[in-house]
Amino acid sequence: MKRRMPSFVRTTAFRLTLLSAGLFALSSFLILAFVYAASAGAAMRRTDAVIMDEFAAVERRFEESGIDGVNRYILQRTVGGSDFLYLLINPNGRLLSGNLNGMPDALPNDAGWMDFVYGRAPVDDEADERDSRRARARLVEIGSGYSVFVGVDFEDEDRLIGRLLRAILVASALVIALGIASGVVVSRRFSRRLDAINTVSRTVMGGDLSHRAPRNGSGDELDELSANFNAMLERLEELMQRMRNVGDSIAHDLRSPLTRMRNRMEDALRDDGNRQSRQAALEQALNDSDELLGVFNAILSISRIEAGERRDSFKHFDPAPVVSDMGELYEPVCEDSGHSFGMQVEPNMRVFGDRSLLSQGIANMLDNAIKYTPEGGGIQLRLRRCSDGRAELSVTDTGPGIPEIDRVRVTQRFVRLEKSRNQPGSGLGLSLVKAIADVHGAVLRLDDGAGGVDGHGPGLRIAIIFPTGE
Amino acid sequence: MRILIIEDDREAANYIRKGLKESGHVVDHAADGEEGLAMGRSAEYDILVVDRMLPKLDGLSVIESLRDEGVSSPVLILSALGEVDHRVEGLKAGGDDYLVKPYAFAELLARIEALARRRDPEAVRTKLVVGDMEMDLLARTVVRGGEAILLQPREFRLLEFLMKHSGQVVTRTMLLEKVWDYHFDPQTNVIDVHISRLRSKIDKPFDEALLHTVRGAGYRLQA
Repeated sequence: MKRRMPSFVRTTAFRLTLLSAGLFALSSFLILAFVYAASAGAAMRRTDAVIMDEFAAVERRFEESGIDGVNRYILQRTVGGSDFLYLLINPNGRLLSGNLNGMPDALPNDAGWMDFVYGRAPVDDEADERDSRRARARLVEIGSGYSVFVGVDFEDEDRLIGRLLRAILVASALVIALGIASGVVVSRRFSRRLDAINTVSRTVMGGDLSHRAPRNGSGDELDELSANFNAMLERLEELMQRMRNVGDSIAHDLRSPLTRMRNRMEDALRDDGNRQSRQAALEQALNDSDELLGVFNAILSISRIEAGERRDSFKHFDPAPVVSDMGELYEPVCEDSGHSFGMQVEPNMRVFGDRSLLSQGIANMLDNAIKYTPEGGGIQLRLRRCSDGRAELSVTDTGPGIPEIDRVRVTQRFVRLEKSRNQPGSGLGLSLVKAIADVHGAVLRLDDGAGGVDGHGPGLRIAIIFPTGE
Repeated sequence: MRILIIEDDREAANYIRKGLKESGHVVDHAADGEEGLAMGRSAEYDILVVDRMLPKLDGLSVIESLRDEGVSSPVLILSALGEVDHRVEGLKAGGDDYLVKPYAFAELLARIEALARRRDPEAVRTKLVVGDMEMDLLARTVVRGGEAILLQPREFRLLEFLMKHSGQVVTRTMLLEKVWDYHFDPQTNVIDVHISRLRSKIDKPFDEALLHTVRGAGYRLQA
């Protein structure tokens, strides 16, 4: 699968950072919008209050000194420029005084307020001073047909609020930009590390199992991912290696009997006329194929046991009768093959497992002992309670034993020590015992046996130690 | 005997058929489960040999259906599945014996003949007789030519099985399964050793041997 390195935009880290930046921007925008709405509303209400105060002042003048008083008051208030806007209108609609050129043509709203734009010559030398300014006003009749129009210029406040609005927008944009930028940075870092892992996994898929994901030792989740990934590769490599070994062993162990069988058949075909030798060759070939089938059956058995199919039918039982029965079956065999046989069985223990598997395991242990112990040697079958209460089943012989360094290896499939290569057998006996021990959760121990006397080897002691408890 | 083989593998079926015909049996063959069920229903067979895995209808279902319909002929199941659970399933479905593939023909023949013998009306026998040897099943004693033979309990059971199947070939696997109840093959020939012990007790002191070795197959107890 050829795929280009994903660009950072597609990475999860980037998307997450972007999402959080977006949410942050949205929430800050909402907060600022609320601030804006609140402050703009407050400014408007204040303007209205100022205008109403001014009306009250005008009406007071009118009561005290009539229309002339009002006129004077307005002149006084507007001289030298003011944020207040006034118009004094007589009953005929003529303008008597004020600092506006005329009534604005805006219509009052339901509450009587008029929002409008008026022109004002630049007062200061501020170049950017606008000509048109925003204002709010109200027309009130003060008596005797006279009306007063009072307004407030709120252009300055408006501009302030405008600046606030712009600041809010800029801030929001900045938050988003920062979010994107941090998303890029975080996702780049993140994806660089992930890419390293991806590269390794692609190399491994390509068949090279020796690569490992880099670790930075920080113990963070990516580091842990790398560690687990590496552990997985370790296991994979081990399994591959074991499979290769099994493959090699199968090739080795099956090839020789197959070749033998083939040669015999070929011989028999060439050997025209001699019926007797042909018969013998056929019988030999039959034996060879039985041996091969035995190997296959053993492989199959081990796989089934290792798969744990039987675990569902496990029961608690006393192993003593199982061991005694097996001892009884093998005792004459041992004696016929010139071995002394001893059996010690301690009753009333409990193991959790499968009787038939246990029998098979004992049979394999005894077969193994008979095969490797020279004539005149001794074989001992024993079931005892360990000091910690665990049940221990053991077979001890006086054969050549197994050197300590080989002890783990012999329980692997097909492993036969070089010196026993020429002996018949599948090399699966002890692996079957190991598989049976494993499926029972038991420990398989190999030790030196009771030998070392009369020119015998150190002997071998194979023990299965069952777990305690129910 | 009239034997029905239900087996989809033509070559295996021909191999069995040829061998059984040579032993003097009449053999019919069905190549799938449905055909086998139809044939098993329509005719009276002395023995049915049924492969467990069959096209259209699996072997166990065939046996269950036949048993439901009252067919009581002994059934030998052939299977590549040899675990204890599989055997139990097979026997539960109505099979009488279970043989794991691959097998030697001698094994198959011995089992078929043992199954056929079982059909004979076998009243509760308390005495088995082969030649001048008598076994009393109640008193648990064996006498040959007027002389009592002392046997261990397991030797007694071994001889009992051989006497019940006297005149027939009994294989080592059959003995291991029926006398010891073990369903695996030990690498050492344990059965041969036990047979030779038994032989030294029942045959050695006498002129005529009753327990014969059948080359390539097993043993036969015969006067």
